[in-house]
Amino acid sequence: MIQETARAFARDHLRPRDREFESARSVAAHVQQLYRDVGLAGLELPEALGGAGLGALARTLVNEELAAADPGAALALDPFGPALYPLLAFGGPDALRAHALPVLARPGGRAVLAFDLLPRLQTAGGRARGILPWVPADRVDLLVVLERERAYLVEEGLLPTALRGAALRAAGASELRVEGAAHPADWVSTPRARWALAHARLYVASLLVGVMRAAAEFSRAYAMERVAFGRPIAHHQALAFLIADMASAVEGARLLVQEAAWRLDRAGDLAGEPEIDDEAEVCATAFLEAAEAALFVTPNGVQILGGHGFMQDYPVEKWMREARALSLLLGGMDAAREDAGRALLLEREPLALEPAARATEGAV
Amino acid sequence: MEFALDPTTRERLRQIRELGRTHMRPLGLEADRLGRPTPADDPFFKLLVQLGHGRTRWSGEPADPPAAARAHGGGGARSVVTLAEEMAYWDRGVAVSFPGPGLGEPPLLGMGTPAQRRRFLEPFQNPDRPRWAAFAMTEPGAGSDVAGIRTSARREGDFYILNGAKSFAANASRADWIVVFATVDPSLGREGHRAFVVERGTPGLGDFQIEHKMGLKAYESTSFTLKDCRVPVANLLGGEEHYARRAGFKGAMQSFNATRPTIAAMAVGMGRAALDESLSFAREHGLLRESRARDRLERIRRRLRAARLLCWRAAWLADLRRPNMLEASMAKAVAPAVALEAATFGMDLLGEVGGRGDHLVEKLFRDVKAMDIVEGTGQIQRIVMARQLVNLPRDGVS
Repeated sequence: MIQETARAFARDHLRPRDREFESARSVAAHVQQLYRDVGLAGLELPEALGGAGLGALARTLVNEELAAADPGAALALDPFGPALYPLLAFGGPDALRAHALPVLARPGGRAVLAFDLLPRLQTAGGRARGILPWVPADRVDLLVVLERERAYLVEEGLLPTALRGAALRAAGASELRVEGAAHPADWVSTPRARWALAHARLYVASLLVGVMRAAAEFSRAYAMERVAFGRPIAHHQALAFLIADMASAVEGARLLVQEAAWRLDRAGDLAGEPEIDDEAEVCATAFLEAAEAALFVTPNGVQILGGHGFMQDYPVEKWMREARALSLLLGGMDAAREDAGRALLLEREPLALEPAARATEGAV
Repeated sequence: MEFALDPTTRERLRQIRELGRTHMRPLGLEADRLGRPTPADDPFFKLLVQLGHGRTRWSGEPADPPAAARAHGGGGARSVVTLAEEMAYWDRGVAVSFPGPGLGEPPLLGMGTPAQRRRFLEPFQNPDRPRWAAFAMTEPGAGSDVAGIRTSARREGDFYILNGAKSFAANASRADWIVVFATVDPSLGREGHRAFVVERGTPGLGDFQIEHKMGLKAYESTSFTLKDCRVPVANLLGGEEHYARRAGFKGAMQSFNATRPTIAAMAVGMGRAALDESLSFAREHGLLRESRARDRLERIRRRLRAARLLCWRAAWLADLRRPNMLEASMAKAVAPAVALEAATFGMDLLGEVGGRGDHLVEKLFRDVKAMDIVEGTGQIQRIVMARQLVNLPRDGVS
């Protein structure tokens, strides 16, 4: 249902105006209003706070549909985005009430999530300081920083400088200088950080699935129309096979993302320390597959259109850039590869058909 | 799609896992070492019959065969692909050697008359001993291009006279009967095809030759000839009416397919075996400290997981009786290549140990190649997909 709503909204209101949003670096206000009106806002916000209280699977379905039209707009329309997850994991409803609702109440307010592996931000004496080279936003009201073992918030001293941005410009693009108080100090928990990262990875992975689906679909249709050497180019076997492989790549990535979301929803209980080692691996794997598949599919979308593909009259070049930019988020593909690979050290049967005991007997 | 497994399938998985560990894996390694199929009189096959294997899915009712199969089989295609993966994990060659009507059963269920189903499947309802049946389409000159078969069928009174040669038919020399495809007129392509149940001992059926394969040695792939082989008209599957009726539906193919996802799932099982073996080797030799090894194992696990989900999705659609031609071919196009990659990289990890020729991963490397060939090569699958995706014309490919 929610998927149908998102599909119709994206088709009717995002896809026809994607270039407009890209040059305006924002989504038109009435489209934002429409997004709220049809019930797509606050999908994962608890019901008590006015959200829909849905889980990861619903999020992946909606994100795929929105990104199949315009992934930049998908980011712009969800002003909290994946920054929600550390707040949910560490602070719960109280933290959301204190820090998320004010941002959401401000017109144009945006929260940004930074998964800070290196880290690029230094914290000392209760203050965070440093530079994030790129965030997909022109304005940052709240920065949520996630590390391996902790999370913290920065609400002032956030100084964005606008950048051209490689892609996702509908959401904006800035370098972000950070010089502000970091709080709270006690959001320390590796399992909770892992829970937040797993959700964030699925958030981005489902955007990647959407964008590659759009590229595969658009170029498939084009290849059936365009004629070369006396027949549609899709009927030359070299392209027919490529189109088949692109379809397989999209479907495989989509299934991995959806299954990971399904697992996460079954496992997710934040009452105690969430034990989601397996699910975290599955989410890292899904992110990586979505990224690899998108970086196979979207450049080939351009390839199928040939010279036209390179021109901005068609959307395929935009989707290629967006797939590349999305897969840089959250530490990128190598961080996901490292997490998924390290999980192998602990696994005896990495692909067991019988689910773990919790999944079979636990509260479903 | 539903991701969870049903309790019945989970229980049967446990049984197969036990059987696999105690019997299938050792028998597969033995057959590989000795270079011959497991003999038909091996006690393992009697044990299987005692355990309830080797039976037909036919319920005994001459009703709608898929409904009967569903009622009898329980879990449907999703269950079948899951169990097939587990069987192939332990040994795909041994899995194919299991007694039962095998690939001969689907044509009986799909085309056979009630009398034919009773006559040929009843002995498999509660078999007194291990019994096999077989299926023969492929010929020396016709593989993927099934329209090109040349084995001829000519009617003479109450008999058809069959002449030709068949290749690579699993379990054919030990089968009670073989479903043989022949043509009444090669110029008609598939329209001219007829399927016959040829019983063991029929005069003119002979020259059984068990082929020497690169892998999957535990079951026999057998070639045979038909020389003026006289088959009673009663053994023409579906009777003459079936073919007269079908003539109007040229090119109408079934819109769902459960066989390709099953073969693909077997490839996933073999790839998983290669992954598990490679992982334990890497662990024993401290290779997992290197990100180079971890990264490649990670990729294999990830691609196998995606391939498995593609199999499940195609099977899930088949269970819903929804069109799945695209998804079935997708699973079949993807899984075998991933499984081969798993075994190929496993050999890399093993290094010279892989060169010895006595490691399971080396066997899997040989075994798994077949999965990209049987039941439509990877190339054929892409053609089928392209027909669905971009209306690729047939150009004579049927």
